[in-house]
Amino acid sequence: MLPLSIKDDEYKPAKFNLLFKLSGWFRSILADKTSRNLFFFLCLNLSFAFVELLYGIWSNSLGLISDSFHMFFDCTALLAGLAASVISRWRSNDSFSYGYVRAEVLAGFVNGLFLIFTAFFIFSEGVERALEPPDVHHERLLPVSIAGLLVNLVGIFVFQHGGHGHSHGGEGHGHSHSLFNGSIGHDHGHGGHGHSHAAKHGHGHGHDHGHGHGHGHDHGHGHGGHGHSHGEPDCHDDFSHTPGKGSSKQILQGVFLHIVADTLGSIGVIISAFLMQKYDLMIADPICSMLIALLIGVSVVPLLRESIGILMQRTPPSLDHALPDCYQRVQQLQGVYNLQEPHFWTLCTDVYIGTLKLLVAPDADSRWILSQTHNIFTQVGVRQLYVQIDVAAM
Amino acid sequence: MAACEPNRARLLCMLSLTFGFFVVEVVVSRVTASLAMLSDSFHMLSDVIALVVALVAARFAARTTATDKNTFGWIRAEVMGALVNAVFLTALCFTVVLEAAERFTEPHEIESPRVVVLVGVLGLAVNLLGLCMFRGHAHGGGHGHSHGGGGKKGKKTTAGNKTTKSCSNAAEETNNLVPGTERRERTDLPHGECVDVQLNGSASYDDPEQDHSHDSASQLNMRGVFLHVLGDALGSVIVVINAIIFTFVWQPCEPGVPCINPCVNSHCTDHQHINHTLVELQDNDHGNHSGLQDMPIPLARAGPCWVLYLDPTLCVIMVCILLYTTYPLLKESALILLQTVPKQIDMHSLNSRLQELEGVLAVHELHIWQLAGSRIIATAHIKCHDPATYMDVAKRIKAFFHDEGIHATTIQPEFVTVNSESRASLCELSCRTQCAPKFCCGSADGPKPAEIAAGAGQKAIAAAASTAAMLEVINESLENAARDQEVKGQGEPKAEEDVTIAREVESSL
Repeated sequence: MLPLSIKDDEYKPAKFNLLFKLSGWFRSILADKTSRNLFFFLCLNLSFAFVELLYGIWSNSLGLISDSFHMFFDCTALLAGLAASVISRWRSNDSFSYGYVRAEVLAGFVNGLFLIFTAFFIFSEGVERALEPPDVHHERLLPVSIAGLLVNLVGIFVFQHGGHGHSHGGEGHGHSHSLFNGSIGHDHGHGGHGHSHAAKHGHGHGHDHGHGHGHGHDHGHGHGGHGHSHGEPDCHDDFSHTPGKGSSKQILQGVFLHIVADTLGSIGVIISAFLMQKYDLMIADPICSMLIALLIGVSVVPLLRESIGILMQRTPPSLDHALPDCYQRVQQLQGVYNLQEPHFWTLCTDVYIGTLKLLVAPDADSRWILSQTHNIFTQVGVRQLYVQIDVAAM
Repeated sequence: MAACEPNRARLLCMLSLTFGFFVVEVVVSRVTASLAMLSDSFHMLSDVIALVVALVAARFAARTTATDKNTFGWIRAEVMGALVNAVFLTALCFTVVLEAAERFTEPHEIESPRVVVLVGVLGLAVNLLGLCMFRGHAHGGGHGHSHGGGGKKGKKTTAGNKTTKSCSNAAEETNNLVPGTERRERTDLPHGECVDVQLNGSASYDDPEQDHSHDSASQLNMRGVFLHVLGDALGSVIVVINAIIFTFVWQPCEPGVPCINPCVNSHCTDHQHINHTLVELQDNDHGNHSGLQDMPIPLARAGPCWVLYLDPTLCVIMVCILLYTTYPLLKESALILLQTVPKQIDMHSLNSRLQELEGVLAVHELHIWQLAGSRIIATAHIKCHDPATYMDVAKRIKAFFHDEGIHATTIQPEFVTVNSESRASLCELSCRTQCAPKFCCGSADGPKPAEIAAGAGQKAIAAAASTAAMLEVINESLENAARDQEVKGQGEPKAEEDVTIAREVESSL
């Protein structure tokens, strides 16, 4: 059969790869609620930073310019969180056999590190100012910090409720406030210094910026598994473990910490401005800085501890009590002599992987032992299990 | 670890030197009231922190025995230390860029440049010393352990011949990871001390292996420290160059002689100027040149302005150099933490060679990842005919992995005898990560797949289920082909999620 027509122009080679990729990422971002929120907040922050920068250049105020740099730094953290939430949804391939799901943990960890770094620099700046109190001019910066405070309050609101409200039909582990019910129990009170420093810079000391941003981006209110965007009923069937709200737990936790840090900073600026104007307490400025730095540092510790635990392949804390029981039950199975080398670790929030070796009798029913073992561990939430059967020869 | 002692000694030595220098810089800055010195001292402090991080990581990583909570030991600590240092360095670079940007808009003069030169040279000396110390280790200490596969091959083949040896060596092939836990387990063996456990490839790889992987992991850590010290050294170089040029080229405003400083903007709100009024005069002057001749006072001008811009420019160059050298370290440690397949291993070919082994019907859920250094861990589900032949197949598989340089493997057997059982056990035993919340892989029976079908793309699931019904033995390549077909069939992003689920179901079958 001859072709009726030859239309070579119908073949379109893959052009504009970059554009195609970008639009693909864009769609992926908008598909998921978490990343949507992150994206919009990032846009908000970015635009505010640009406005501040332009205003600072126009009014020739160094403080405003440095504050806008702070906000840009803040946006970097938000961008990292956004990137992580997109990347962690990519499919697994030859190089990444588990997929990219660890990206969120890594993002949370890196954000925590940035926050610590920021706290360190704010502290150092506070020390510098305490040693050499500069002139402080607050008039121009107060409205800016108030505006920054409002932006951050928006962020807090968005990431407190929006962050977790994933439509997991019916699962509803009430984790919309998972932040405060804290499946891991973090105290995110503090950290909001961010823009306070801008105000402080107003008084002409170079170095300050770097710190400002420690806005704790609270990352990840773990949704058990990544499927949050799909709004399908998940099957958290039996677990006794904490059914977190999906995979972005670390990311959202980090973002939230960042925003709260920023908010506290703005509040700190306002308070110190007030103190200075009313009571002429010049020392209030650096003391506020140092207090805020300490608060940020303290608030980041839980996030860091959790991320480090996961990255170090530690046994999942939520399974700490359940596992010895499971070992007992497995060893009581008929034919099992011994359970050796158990390794359990967290791949990402609520996804646990385990390996172990069983020493069994030669006449034991391996298949039955395998399925029973899997049952036992699935009940505590370990779905990926590798059980090696070693037959003891008589 | 004998290999680690020099590391720790070097770190401690450098730490004390740097800390001492930090104290010196703080004191000098207070004495000369130089703010630049104070900020430089904080850079030193950050260096100290980096060294502390590396030291802590090295200390932790020396504990390779398993604990209750960390069944893999603390080996990963060094990779973490490297990552922390790399991130810290990046953040430091951002800070420097911000400061430089600020200096561009508002150049500062250096007060008391000679003191700055002196302190800068001292700092440079300390940093160069550190560079020498860590350079020797970071690059030379290799002995090629990072090529986990190649170097180990020789060892493994000879060891593989000792399969008949059993007894207490039985568990040792995977003991390299967790030397601590085995002791108590072995005492439980009911058949006396010499149970002939039929594992294969038993040999004692313990100590050399530990040393090797430890070394290559600690290399990462030392690289982080090296980069940090390099950044500091570059900073000192810039400080010294800047101060020297400033001393010789810059003509400052002498107090008492009326002069103006044309380089500094009149940010009256932000800076104190010695000659405020003169600056205003200068502004008027700029607007009206003829006015200069009318001024009765001869005005001196402070030195060439470009000198003031030298500092931020050099800083920006330094940042570029630093970022360029830090990026590979950042990438490598991040990839390890992301559970990537190690570079030297080709998953695809490994998979196909594994399937060619006698007795292996299919391979599922093959995961290979790097714990740290050259310690690579692999897990897989292998489908075989029946339990009787399983142990032979297991031996072959273990030998195969040993040849590849992967010594810690966990192989789960899946047996094919009856259709329904195999399907059930397949669904139960292999759940993919992404599907974790969607699959109720609890007690793996009929109802579960039905539930999933209700929730997700039904067509896809139904197709997958029927596929499973037809095939007893599922080849991974077939799965891939089916998956690709599904992907092509549904092009929209929304359906992507269904496809993902479908793929999960398929590959779990």
